[in-house]
Amino acid sequence: MIARRNILVASAAATLLFAVAGCTAADSGTDSASGDAGSVEGKSICYVTLANSHPYVTPANEGAQAAADAAGVELTIVSEEFSAQTGAEQLNSCVSRGVDGILLWPADENSYLPGLLKAEQAGIPVVAIDTRAGDESMELIQSFAGADKYDQGKISAQQLDGALDSTGGIVVIAGQAGNGTEIARSGGFLDELESMGSGLEILATVNADFDQQKALVASRDLITKFGDQIKGVYAQDDTMAKGFLQALEESGLDFVPVVVGINGEAGAFDNIREGKQFSTILQPPFRNGELAIETLISVMKGETVPEMVPLENTIVDIDNVDDLEPAL
Amino acid sequence: MKNFDFALLGTRAVQYRLVIMLVAVAVFGGLSLDDFLTVNTLQSVLDRATVVGFLALGLTPVLIAGQIDLSIGSMMSMAGITTIFMQPVIGNVPAAAAGVAVGILIGAVNALMVVVFKINSLVATLATLLIFASLALLLTNSYPLSSEDPIFGLPLTADFLWILTPRSAIFLTAAVLMFVWLKLTPTGRNLYAVGSDAPAATSSGINANGYIATSFILSGFFAGLAGMMQSLSTAAGSPVAGAVMLIPAITAVVIGGTRLEGGRGSSLATLGGVLALGALTTALEYNGVPSYTQAIYTGLLLILLISLDRIVSGHGGASSRAQRSVRVAPRNTPLPRRNA
Amino acid sequence: MNQLVAPAKSLDKSKTPGALFSTLSIPIAILVLVVIGSVASPSFLTVNNLTNVLNANSAVGLIALGMTFVMVSGGLADLSVPANVAMGALVTLGAQESMGTGLAALMGLLVASMGGVVNGILIGYLRINPIIATLGTGSVLLGLSQLLVGGGIVYAQPSALSTFVKSSILGIPVFIWIFIFVALILHPLLARTSFGRWSLAVGGNYQAAQASAVPVRFTKAAAFAMTGFLAGLCGVLLALSNGQARPIIGTGYEFVAITAVVIGGTSVFGGNGSVLRTVGGVLITALIGNLIILLGFPSQATGLITGAIVLGAVGIDAYFRRKAGRL
Repeated sequence: MIARRNILVASAAATLLFAVAGCTAADSGTDSASGDAGSVEGKSICYVTLANSHPYVTPANEGAQAAADAAGVELTIVSEEFSAQTGAEQLNSCVSRGVDGILLWPADENSYLPGLLKAEQAGIPVVAIDTRAGDESMELIQSFAGADKYDQGKISAQQLDGALDSTGGIVVIAGQAGNGTEIARSGGFLDELESMGSGLEILATVNADFDQQKALVASRDLITKFGDQIKGVYAQDDTMAKGFLQALEESGLDFVPVVVGINGEAGAFDNIREGKQFSTILQPPFRNGELAIETLISVMKGETVPEMVPLENTIVDIDNVDDLEPAL
Repeated sequence: MKNFDFALLGTRAVQYRLVIMLVAVAVFGGLSLDDFLTVNTLQSVLDRATVVGFLALGLTPVLIAGQIDLSIGSMMSMAGITTIFMQPVIGNVPAAAAGVAVGILIGAVNALMVVVFKINSLVATLATLLIFASLALLLTNSYPLSSEDPIFGLPLTADFLWILTPRSAIFLTAAVLMFVWLKLTPTGRNLYAVGSDAPAATSSGINANGYIATSFILSGFFAGLAGMMQSLSTAAGSPVAGAVMLIPAITAVVIGGTRLEGGRGSSLATLGGVLALGALTTALEYNGVPSYTQAIYTGLLLILLISLDRIVSGHGGASSRAQRSVRVAPRNTPLPRRNA
Repeated sequence: MNQLVAPAKSLDKSKTPGALFSTLSIPIAILVLVVIGSVASPSFLTVNNLTNVLNANSAVGLIALGMTFVMVSGGLADLSVPANVAMGALVTLGAQESMGTGLAALMGLLVASMGGVVNGILIGYLRINPIIATLGTGSVLLGLSQLLVGGGIVYAQPSALSTFVKSSILGIPVFIWIFIFVALILHPLLARTSFGRWSLAVGGNYQAAQASAVPVRFTKAAAFAMTGFLAGLCGVLLALSNGQARPIIGTGYEFVAITAVVIGGTSVFGGNGSVLRTVGGVLITALIGNLIILLGFPSQATGLITGAIVLGAVGIDAYFRRKAGRL
């Protein structure tokens, strides 16, 4: 099916190039693709970011800004506020503005395809940051810089499966239903459990919207219902892990489930030290932003870049918690 | 006499505020950016305004009829996932029609709740907002659907007639058609009468319930259109596509000058509101203004405009809504006809 | 929106089916949910779980108590709730270091109350439509709160106050005590004082209330100021008990509060309603959330079930209302 889609996409690109014969943006893009290798000073980059105010995204934006400043590139940051639909429109808007390069933070897998086709048609290189777009979209994206939330889901599955010897009941405290991060972290987790043939049994999945209070309220109910059947907890971020631990403490029950979080928050570091949380996944947001802009600039210079510029997903647990700095 | 002048001034201010805003945005954008005043920007603003524009257009008759529809975003999500889901099953064009039909159907549910079961529209559409947002997530298991035929929707956002795209052309046409309906036909004018004073309209022989029901179904139709176009032009049907659309749509309608109290408003004013807001957003985005700062500006603008409107038109002080609607109705709308 | 502000025909206190329905509907609904819960899940009727139910919406329930006054006085709804919750929470934690926890919490309450007062002035005195006014102020305040903290999380420092907020008295969490305390103040305020009568009068018939020398503007403004204060209180409590806060902290709380008030049977038309009924509404929404998890339904179904209950409750109420009107 993927292969068939790629053919569709290729023909879609052809359709756009030849049939629709867009005349507006073609000139502005070409100079960036074939421009002087070496200098990108004064060129412009449009960065469609996930959000302006967010513990992980904001430092990543700052990193991107710093890297752009260092290279003398003019960076315009627009925020899609977690909405792929808004982002798709902003992507179109960046293309029609005729910038020299685009950095895109995909909020879901699919919605950017038409805008990416337009960017390709206009000769504007696109690099993705933090989250991969769908396979068809990635064909139109020059490189990806980030640690990938899908992989974080996979790592969490491996952590839980390993710590529990692949047996016992777990609960999943997921983010906001339909949110791109939730989709990637759920997808990676479930796919990995399946491909490992894990014996873990998912007792319940609740959506707590990346919110500590909602996670707390839901966890109280989960603990009431399942009690010490809960051998493991997959919280899709540390904030929600904290909500679960709070509920566990309130309940006064003295079982210690394996709690796995993501994000590397300061609170999670404390909980890992105290043995309440098993692990979290640390990815440095500032570096992520820098890396993405550096990659995009390389593309704009006409250099060859790898399909993926990896940012380490560092697993933080009791063994290394004192050697690392929390991300936020 | 003095009062009349004041009212006239107020009306003029309301009429021209959109022009003033658009000019202000153009000046601000032109001064702060080298590449703002271009055909590309205009095309991009018009195209981006389309989706929220359809929602705002649909909301306009509802507000004129004195009701509110909070469920537009959920209807849009439902229409979007229906369109994408049905594409491989019944073909592209029928799927698009099915998407719009879902919007109409939910609009009819709203109409039923408000007109037949007499549930206040704020409560009824809050409930359908919750129900259909939830249903969209359940049906898709929270995952966005990707289109089996991503090419089909691409021409919607291609170049068309220099400054347009096909979907923005449809949007502009729809706004003009609605203007013609509202202002130039007896049924359109009756809608204003219903919104100004439903009991009075009923006693003068207008089927107020029919008009209210029609406005909700229209709102569903336009939300369906928005969802269908959005999903086709992004080649994806997301269950949360409409979740963030309600507030921009209401803001655009109100900035345009349509009142939540009913009896006043116009689709061209809504069009102006949508474009002014869209142009402002684009200008701020091009300047790299963070989204939360944009929210502060938009909120202040909303409060400022509505306060001005209130002070200019309500200089009589604490006039009751009933008094106001009686006063407003004859000035802004021709006398309601008795044929309905 | 004349449909929204039409004066409600107050129900006769006699034994019409409508009056019976509005008296008994909430206890019956709670009973039905409790029966469903006890049959379907062995863990439902445990002290722990019932505490969970009471505790689940005690924070957002505070806002519903304030929202009752907004609706009763014909103010439709306050959509700026999430912004005031965020303001209360972020100001408290932001000012904690420099001024100490107690003063910082007061500061958070003050800032959120100011937001409520601005709403009150716009709606009560300038007579701007409440939906638009609170949409505008909410947008500005939430923007400001994000501007204040940039992107980050604001962390709390350990303090006696936050330990207290997280503790229990007589086996019942402090959150529940606070909710009960506020409800015990606000119920008689609406039911027995002149302010309460003013609120009912303003929402029932604005002109008549004005004619009979009710301070209509003040009454309406006070309802919004009160909701702002209570949203702030909710934010302060959440920030202290969670030990951290982000600008998204109150997202969706406006709808939860409105839903609770509406399920409680307070009319959006204004003119009737009671704080006790809202307490019932808060309990019902909490029970729904609890049962969804205990019965293993997907959490996405919450909106579906809540929405259906709203339509059912309000639809039946409206049916009896019309029947009573015709008699």
